[in-house]
Amino acid sequence: MTRLVRIEWLKLRTMRVGFGVLATSAALTTLFASLEASRAGSNGQNAVAPLFTASGLSTVTTVTGWSMILAAVLGVIVTSGEYRHYTATLTYLATPDRRRVLAAKTLTAAGAGAVFGLVSGLIATAVGLIFVAAHGYHVALGTGTLVAHVAGAVVGAAIFGAIGAGIGALFRSQLAGVIGVFVWALVIESIIGGLFTSVRPYLPYTAATTLAGIKLGGAAFGPAHDVAGGGPLPFAAAAALLIGVAALLEAIASRTTVRQDVT
Amino acid sequence: MAVIEIHDLTKRFGALTAIDHLSFEVEGGSVVGFLGPNGAGKTTTLRTLLGLVAPAQGSAKICGRLYQELPDPLHRVGAVLEASSPYPGRTARNHLRVQALAGQMPDSRIEEVLDLVDLIPAADRRVGEFSLGMRQRLGLATALLCDPEILILDEPANGLDPEGVRWLRDLLRGLADEGRTVLVSSHILAEVAQTVDSVIILDRGHLVTHDTLDELTARVQHKLRIRTPQAEQLQRLLIAQGATALVVTPDRLEVTRSSAERVGLLAAEHAIPIFETTTDGVGLEDVFFQLTEAAESKENAR
Repeated sequence: MTRLVRIEWLKLRTMRVGFGVLATSAALTTLFASLEASRAGSNGQNAVAPLFTASGLSTVTTVTGWSMILAAVLGVIVTSGEYRHYTATLTYLATPDRRRVLAAKTLTAAGAGAVFGLVSGLIATAVGLIFVAAHGYHVALGTGTLVAHVAGAVVGAAIFGAIGAGIGALFRSQLAGVIGVFVWALVIESIIGGLFTSVRPYLPYTAATTLAGIKLGGAAFGPAHDVAGGGPLPFAAAAALLIGVAALLEAIASRTTVRQDVT
Repeated sequence: MAVIEIHDLTKRFGALTAIDHLSFEVEGGSVVGFLGPNGAGKTTTLRTLLGLVAPAQGSAKICGRLYQELPDPLHRVGAVLEASSPYPGRTARNHLRVQALAGQMPDSRIEEVLDLVDLIPAADRRVGEFSLGMRQRLGLATALLCDPEILILDEPANGLDPEGVRWLRDLLRGLADEGRTVLVSSHILAEVAQTVDSVIILDRGHLVTHDTLDELTARVQHKLRIRTPQAEQLQRLLIAQGATALVVTPDRLEVTRSSAERVGLLAAEHAIPIFETTTDGVGLEDVFFQLTEAAESKENAR
């Protein structure tokens, strides 16, 4: 398995698209963290608390949701790209055991996702601290909390990378997989989370963002953003839920991948 | 000893039967042409042999095992298949690095195969910038990377210019001389005729024939062209003898299912002057078309 993961990692390192998705994740994190920091302390709808408060600063340092979505996108690319570019034949000629190939791809996507989460977490933290320093505020969050937020982003993005790999293997269509990830995370979860606050903590993207310290619903778009009600799952429960989702997708994708012809 | 064994292989895609109870064997150390018109089932057969497509019935084995069961498959079998490609955004060298890692081959081997297929100058270019011919060469480099004893090549001449076809022919001859088993598919017999020991001809998923080239040529009727002032009289006599004769112009006949000797004796017996007799050499392509058309007629008659 180690060799298979090394192969997949080498494939990923020699594809420009992986670096492009990482750069997109970093750029979006920088943009949204800066926007949140700029409007911190202002009044109005969806106001952000001032940066000298723990709530205000954490709103900025936890803008890591994009890294999770884009980690899933990368996961989709890692698996579905084999079919899009007709490279699956070469992959399965080298390693006919398709389950092991999928497992290696999932681990690789998870590893790449962890990098996405780390980069995003560090950027968001840096943006928050730069704005705090620029205003001459004291840092309202302890080092432990900041590190926990970054670690949560790493865990959340890693699992989302694995989930993306499962989605890509299941659907084989890169376009459908990528669109599906965005629509699920940005539209469907926002709608369901807004309508049924009791199920909100169990929604995968929402659960992943709460791992990184984002308040429940804080990463939702539209009317569902900041809808009150309910609390996040404990870290371990949220992580277990997400790993369960990834494992379920992997199991289903594994069955379909073994059965389907590579033509 | 047979290294490739196809036994009663059947594959259906929905209502379409791509391969229909196909059986044949390929002996070790031989170079075999795998021929048939487009849609004959060649690629499906090869993909089934390589474990990429699951058969509905029968089996396709290499060295007595399914491809999936081969230890170190890249060291046993090298394959170039249609509709498979290296990732277009990766350089040729990086593509081979991935394959070398999969086959546990040293990086020095990458340079060797790049040199073998004349791709060293383009090794650091992205595959997406390659011409079809260059991709075919890279495919061959990939197949040869782990020095396999069996090569399965699906339409390797596609996209090659005449010089490239000659290069491929020389390469296949070289591989055959090294004692490797090569199964090379094509829809053009002439592409492989100078290289192969025998041919397997497929049509609509059925085996049409598995022969050496000499046996194949001998099975097909030659055509005689005869110039005589009494064409119609000679035609009647030949038909009475069981030959097929067609008057193409008032003084010219085309005859099959006979021979120059028999026609000459018959004409002498009836005092019919013959001014010219020529025998058309039957090209390999004619053989191929006659066999596949005969198979098609038989299929339609069912």
